[in-house]
Amino acid sequence: MTTATLGAGGRHAGVQGAPAALPLSGTMTGFWLSVRFILRRNWLRLLIWAAVLAVMIPVVYDSQQQAFPTQADRDAYAGVANTPAVAAMTGLPYAAGSLGGILVIKIWMTLAVAIGFAVIFLVTRNGRADEEAGRTELLRSSALGRHAYSTANYVVAGALGVVTGILISLLCLSVNLPVAGSLVMGASIAGTALAFVGIAALCGQLSSTSRGANALGVMVIALFYFIRAGADLQSNGVDPTALSWFSPIGWAQNMRPFGQDTWWPLLALLALAVGSCALALRIETRRDLGMGLLPDRAGPTRAPAFLVQPVGLVLRLQRGSLIGWFAGAAVAGVFFGGVAQAMTNVLDPSNPFAKNFVGSSNSMLDGVLGIFVLFNGLLSGAFAVQCMAGARSEEAAGRLESQLAGALSRYRWLSAQVLVAAVGSGLMLLMGGYLTGVSSNGAATGGELAAASLAYWPAVLLMVGVMLFLHGFLPRLSISLSWAVYGVSVMVSMFGSLFSLSADVIKSTPFGAVPRMPADDFALMPLVVLSALAVALAALGIWRFRTRDIVAE
Amino acid sequence: MSAHSLSANNQATHTAAIEVSGLRKNFGRSTALAGLDLQVERGTVAGFLGPNGSGKSTTIRILLGLLRPDGGSASLLGGDPWRDAVELHRRIAYVPGDVSLWPNLTGGQAIDILSKLRGGVDNAKRSSLLERFELDPSKKARSYSKGNRQKVALVAGLASDAELLILDEPTSGLDPLMEQVFTECIREVKAEGRSVLLSSHIFAEVEKLCDTVTIIREGRTVEAGRLDELRHLHRTTVSVVLDRDASVLASVPGISDLVAQGTKATFTVGATELGGVLAALSAYAPHTLVSSPPSLEDLFLRHYSGTAADVPAGAAATQSAGAR
Repeated sequence: MTTATLGAGGRHAGVQGAPAALPLSGTMTGFWLSVRFILRRNWLRLLIWAAVLAVMIPVVYDSQQQAFPTQADRDAYAGVANTPAVAAMTGLPYAAGSLGGILVIKIWMTLAVAIGFAVIFLVTRNGRADEEAGRTELLRSSALGRHAYSTANYVVAGALGVVTGILISLLCLSVNLPVAGSLVMGASIAGTALAFVGIAALCGQLSSTSRGANALGVMVIALFYFIRAGADLQSNGVDPTALSWFSPIGWAQNMRPFGQDTWWPLLALLALAVGSCALALRIETRRDLGMGLLPDRAGPTRAPAFLVQPVGLVLRLQRGSLIGWFAGAAVAGVFFGGVAQAMTNVLDPSNPFAKNFVGSSNSMLDGVLGIFVLFNGLLSGAFAVQCMAGARSEEAAGRLESQLAGALSRYRWLSAQVLVAAVGSGLMLLMGGYLTGVSSNGAATGGELAAASLAYWPAVLLMVGVMLFLHGFLPRLSISLSWAVYGVSVMVSMFGSLFSLSADVIKSTPFGAVPRMPADDFALMPLVVLSALAVALAALGIWRFRTRDIVAE
Repeated sequence: MSAHSLSANNQATHTAAIEVSGLRKNFGRSTALAGLDLQVERGTVAGFLGPNGSGKSTTIRILLGLLRPDGGSASLLGGDPWRDAVELHRRIAYVPGDVSLWPNLTGGQAIDILSKLRGGVDNAKRSSLLERFELDPSKKARSYSKGNRQKVALVAGLASDAELLILDEPTSGLDPLMEQVFTECIREVKAEGRSVLLSSHIFAEVEKLCDTVTIIREGRTVEAGRLDELRHLHRTTVSVVLDRDASVLASVPGISDLVAQGTKATFTVGATELGGVLAALSAYAPHTLVSSPPSLEDLFLRHYSGTAADVPAGAAATQSAGAR
């Protein structure tokens, strides 16, 4: 990658004479060159993101057409579609009686969140990560305007959103869905993408590291997702509540493709995108290259005894991330508990809407709590993967080499990483579950939900095992492959049933295998199997790590 | 070799600090090392020279047990670098050429972490080194320049009492004043009877500090031995101004690489022919005569200006005559 950047930097000198493509002041000189360069460096991942997301439309449409072949089937589904689970995870089913509306229920939220992740990772990769590695300095030393590269970065990421949106619209039209709905469907996804490009641009300016920028961006996605989840749970029926206007995902949802087909929230999304990008560029003007907004202060000149222990060092290096994750899990736990209490109104047996499809209100409340516990499990799994990715980063950056050149065995070094990931994720599960319980106003006790959450520990440990295995055998790919495994596991456990995957398939994935307490009964077997798999993968990975070369990048 | 015989070896002073022979390492289809030999005796400073990508860092990483060799043998302080890595690392210090530090920790913290991993830190030595290298340990590593990051690794390495220092281009990024400090430190290390492997690009540094030199190219050793002996084996460059046309020198036996221009001439002469050549020269009444001994740079360039195939026939002989 470095060589590619060097090559472009060199090439740039050759085309200096070309007229500046934008008639702006010098800050935009080299904009189109930067766009071409970013496309050159990212074309494969851009293509994969756009293709994978767009192709979900015909695939899911086809499965839903088979599931609900007649209008009578769809009408029957519309009568039972509005469950708290659907509202919390994918939004209010406002048009469950039509194939377009069913398509929205099944796939819209997945597409919106996925495109959000895509643009955040993309903007960080070409923005803060390059700056951190010193590549931006190399580019800026050539005749390149101050904002040309950043603007090109935002434009390319935005273009990914727009192209994906257009593909989605075209594919909707190709399966003969209504024209107006098809256009709004694509536009709402593209709008979400653009809004997150703006948010990612800001994250890249505020944080001085690429890890920090990504973490901040992911937290903002999670925050906006939970806000709209709360908003949709509050709704009595299928009308959006006021709270949904506090999340850009909510704005895009309220465009309601195949329902009301409202266009104007798109303007709000565009305004957020343009405003955030403009603010990001303004911050870029004011700050020094390589710095965040906060200046570095002098630090301690000596390391305490704690820090020179391998575990202490991992804790210190992950300190920011640990604080962030635990704070996030605490906020999420309290939020889940509060929402669960609000649910009791919806669950009022006199509410005709609830009576329609619930036998006993109790089992429905348990179902909601089960979903919240699952969310806790997924959060903790993401923490564990990120924590273990830190181990690979130490090796890739060449810092592991200096440590192993001391009297530290590979086994001890890796043990420290695993210990922090494993114990940290366990504590996070207990804390998230406990806070959900105590803030639920009697819907469940803290202890009950802490135990229910802890049942996800074997699944989280399996993620650690997968990462260790990949770290041993495919170190260069281990971080991206681990996130891919995690992503697929999350998708299947959250949306598997909506994708009409069979219960057996869902039960054979890490997070799907865990009994969803308190709705399900406790079962020991899945947890034993998950733990055994985790240990086996970890053992193989550790064995391989101890015999392989240490590879820096 | 069992752990027991390893500790027995520790006491035996006759074992070399580093002994590498026929070392091979491939990365996929590319060959990094193709039978490299390297010998570092105890108490000596050994220079390790080679162009970029010739395998210096790969050799050092194998010696540190970070990479596994594909063939040949390597022994470090009498132990196996892979199997006995942790035990051996208590007795060595390593300074990489491209120092990567934790961006959010201070230089002082990094020094403590790296030294404690080796076994401990000598506080008096640490603070005197910080002073000599003019390093501010309270700054976050992300704000350090390349030279300052290099100083962090140097202070951590030099503050130890390791038997063997392995230094991979340790002065890259240092200013000339700091290079001077580094030279003094290495001389102190040598005076204490410790051993040093110094991989470097800077000929002056190697000539100043090293007792022996190993020159490698494309993963093979092409020249090795004591610096003074190596010089001896190579040709002296002589420039003269004669009282007549200098082309007459072409007939003098022992003179080669002759460049004659009017009365001026430059040529090279081997150590054994030098006496005969000087006697012959006196017949032409030289006005001036400047002779320069072969520098390490000449030696180095001589090996690198040719192609890979023509490794000098004398190389193997020099090796056995040199270090052993």
